[in-house]
Amino acid sequence: MFSEQERMVFIGLVVICGALAWPGFYNMFKIIRKGGEVNRFDNIIKRFLTATIDVLLQKPIFKTRPFVSILHAFIFFGFSFYLLVNVSDLLEAFVEGWTTIDRGPIFGTFNLLADLFSVLVLVGMISMLYRRFVVKPKAFEFNDNVLLHPKVAKGSIKKDSLFVGIFILLHVGSRWVGTAIRMAEEGHTNAWLPTASLLVPLFSDMSPESLEQAFHITWWIAMGLIVMFIPYFPRSKHIHLMIAPINLALGRNTPVGALDPVIDYSSPGASGILELPWPQLLDPYACIMCTRCHEVCPAHESGTSLSPSALEINKRYLMNESGSSLAAGEDIQLLDSAISSDAVWSCTTCNACVSICPVGNEPMQDIIQMRRSMVFDSNMPDELADTLRSLDEQGNSFGESNRKRSRWTKPLNIDIKDASKEAVDILWFVGDFASFNQSCTDTTRKVAEVLTAAGVDFGIIKKGEKSAGNDVRRVGEEGLFESLAEQNIEKLAGCEFNRIMTTDPHTFNALKNEYPALGGEYEVVHYSTLLLEMMESGIINLDETLSGNATYHDPCYLGRYNGIYEAPRGVIERCGLSIVEMPRNRDNSLCCGAGGGQIWMNDHDDMTQRPSEMRIEEALSVGVSRFLVACPKDMTMYSDAVKTSGHEGEIIVEDIIDLVYSAMNMQVEKMLPSNVDGVLT
Amino acid sequence: MKIAVLLKWVPDLVEELEVDDDGIGIDTDDLKFKLNEFDDHALEEALQIANDGDEVVAIAIDGDGTEKMLYTAIAKGASSGIRLTGGSNSNTANLAAGFATALDGGNYDLILTGVQSVDDLDGQLGPILAANMGLPCVSVVSSLNVSGGVATVTKEYSGGIVAEFEVDLPAVLGIQAARETPRYAPVSKIRQVQQSTDLAEKSVSGSSTSGTIITAMSEPETGGGAKMLDDVEDLIEILKGLGVS
Repeated sequence: MFSEQERMVFIGLVVICGALAWPGFYNMFKIIRKGGEVNRFDNIIKRFLTATIDVLLQKPIFKTRPFVSILHAFIFFGFSFYLLVNVSDLLEAFVEGWTTIDRGPIFGTFNLLADLFSVLVLVGMISMLYRRFVVKPKAFEFNDNVLLHPKVAKGSIKKDSLFVGIFILLHVGSRWVGTAIRMAEEGHTNAWLPTASLLVPLFSDMSPESLEQAFHITWWIAMGLIVMFIPYFPRSKHIHLMIAPINLALGRNTPVGALDPVIDYSSPGASGILELPWPQLLDPYACIMCTRCHEVCPAHESGTSLSPSALEINKRYLMNESGSSLAAGEDIQLLDSAISSDAVWSCTTCNACVSICPVGNEPMQDIIQMRRSMVFDSNMPDELADTLRSLDEQGNSFGESNRKRSRWTKPLNIDIKDASKEAVDILWFVGDFASFNQSCTDTTRKVAEVLTAAGVDFGIIKKGEKSAGNDVRRVGEEGLFESLAEQNIEKLAGCEFNRIMTTDPHTFNALKNEYPALGGEYEVVHYSTLLLEMMESGIINLDETLSGNATYHDPCYLGRYNGIYEAPRGVIERCGLSIVEMPRNRDNSLCCGAGGGQIWMNDHDDMTQRPSEMRIEEALSVGVSRFLVACPKDMTMYSDAVKTSGHEGEIIVEDIIDLVYSAMNMQVEKMLPSNVDGVLT
Repeated sequence: MKIAVLLKWVPDLVEELEVDDDGIGIDTDDLKFKLNEFDDHALEEALQIANDGDEVVAIAIDGDGTEKMLYTAIAKGASSGIRLTGGSNSNTANLAAGFATALDGGNYDLILTGVQSVDDLDGQLGPILAANMGLPCVSVVSSLNVSGGVATVTKEYSGGIVAEFEVDLPAVLGIQAARETPRYAPVSKIRQVQQSTDLAEKSVSGSSTSGTIITAMSEPETGGGAKMLDDVEDLIEILKGLGVS
């Protein structure tokens, strides 16, 4: 049925399009190879196996936007099956007499699946186009102040979407109609092709010659188009269908709370695209520009110039635009072409963008790499420089004498052990915020009182504890982080203890995930975990339980970074409160806006509303008047937010220790004398 | 152009100061020191006005924190650092004498120092140094431009009055504020400089026959507290009680 000429034309088209596509694929490969070295090839089989299963189950996509994810699943499964369909269609052209119609149940099933998937793809694609071009969700929009590649600003993403959408509709639609024409030629419908059969009557009065011609047209639209589309692939976001699974397979399998080490200390981080670690050069090709990341970004939501999505998209457009020169090693600066300086300094490193990304991209890691390079060039906000100077000179971010670090203990009439002088079971690494911040020290003292009352053998480092450096590392000051960590590790080496406890999730993260690489390996426990442990084992007995509703805010560095969601909730529930969850909870929690050094920087000029204020409103929307936290920075951020958002009197911010303290019916007079001999086992 | 920036290590005032046992100095045992803030501005201004080919030399009297201070200056962009041994920073006149010997014969076009420091609130270092070297001096400089061997500087006076001077180079300038906030030197860069750069060393004699001599030092006397009075009659009664009539 297919003439020799037709076959030659098709082969010629494949050769031409292959040749046209080659430079795009070749550049892509070369560019990725030029990225910074990190090892992502360990357990390679397991990596690809896991990624394949995840992709087949569409797991990463269903993290959010369930309806769109279903549409995506229609297209994904349809397209995957179409790989087989395309093979069959090729056979139809090149093998005389090849057909799948009326050839028994196996081919019948194949036809049935092809038929149903065709409709699902068409439904999925039309709905997605409708969504993008008619519904126009706000999530696709960027804040006005976000730096966009000129092409993106002119609507290039929409064009790409439309182009890809039409291609899919034509490719699948044409094949579907072609099947109906085939049946019309044979003069009857087929039960294995239920939906295409519905179209058969449309062609009933056509002559056999016209039907044959019409079939050839549909075949060429379906198959010719896919070949012609190949050169467009490496330029289009649609290449995500190849790169996303690879990106997922080659993703980070080390703790998300441990940043990649600096590769070259004489030029740390990345100022140019090619200086990024290579997996981060894979990211823009995996990106389908769905903007889910900026939808969950606290910086973008609060009106600043940061959109993690725009960063990946800009990278991709720069890589398309300068593919050959990048492949030849001619680098492009990221700053002011992929992202603005203000946006770099707007990131709270909350990891929400990374955690939500369906294709395993890590825009936040790009920002941290850029910060490393910018800090190395002394390019940072003045107030951040001041804080870093304090951290270097005093070892804390408050610019206070480090000798005042344990001053918070003074009002207590209990004698806290000095863990650097005597052995303790639990070494409490108090951290900057809990030690120095006026609005936190009451909470800090309550922790000490509860631990004492529970008979925990604990102590603090009275002299010589320095900031753990979690956020120092996240603003990109790698050298200072290492210096602080080395001093702490040296100090801890002289202490005898079983476990380290922290109340600050940032401190917790650094000690747990980042100190091991510098030689400090400890068992680190968050106070929420320790409290729950003591409640479960009966060490802490509650005299009276509280009642009522409350909501709990998951701190980024406790939840998303370290997966601790249930311990604080367990503590709250055991104290007698019922938790009413906010819409954004657990791994979808909204950052308070303090992380990644933001707490040391001024508010950004174009911020419309602080993330902490949005969060308080979110809590009020679920009808609670108690807002519970398990992080000293949250205490400060949300206590302030309640005031600045004008909701004083409507909601109170409490630390989980406040509940335990109340439920233990503790008063200062009731405190046990010092030197309680209780060892937690 | 060759610019010298004089750096000084001063007590960090976030720590509490205590008078030492001799009663004529500060107890430095537990004290933390840091670079004099105004010297940091002098360094920043030097780095700002230096063009390609210009040389910025950081100079400090040898002491506990000198190495870190000089390496930090180089990490920020200074061309080199000189550590002065044998000098004394016991008082400003001695310090100035030390710096003067170090600078002598160095062909510096500009000598920048911070306008003052916590232990030299009068800002004597610049003027004494200039006098020692026979150079012109302007202090409290808040802007600086150099062109053709002449520096045009703005000096701030109290009450918001500003004067503009033209000074023939070489000259000594006491910098009040640099045009940009002093830059931050990243720790890893300082570490690298430390490994890759050698500081020059120069022996100086730093004694001066003049200068301030401290005879006694003490903490300010604290007042006896205040009493809030409800009404003016009470005040009159108290004044009468004190013998005021």
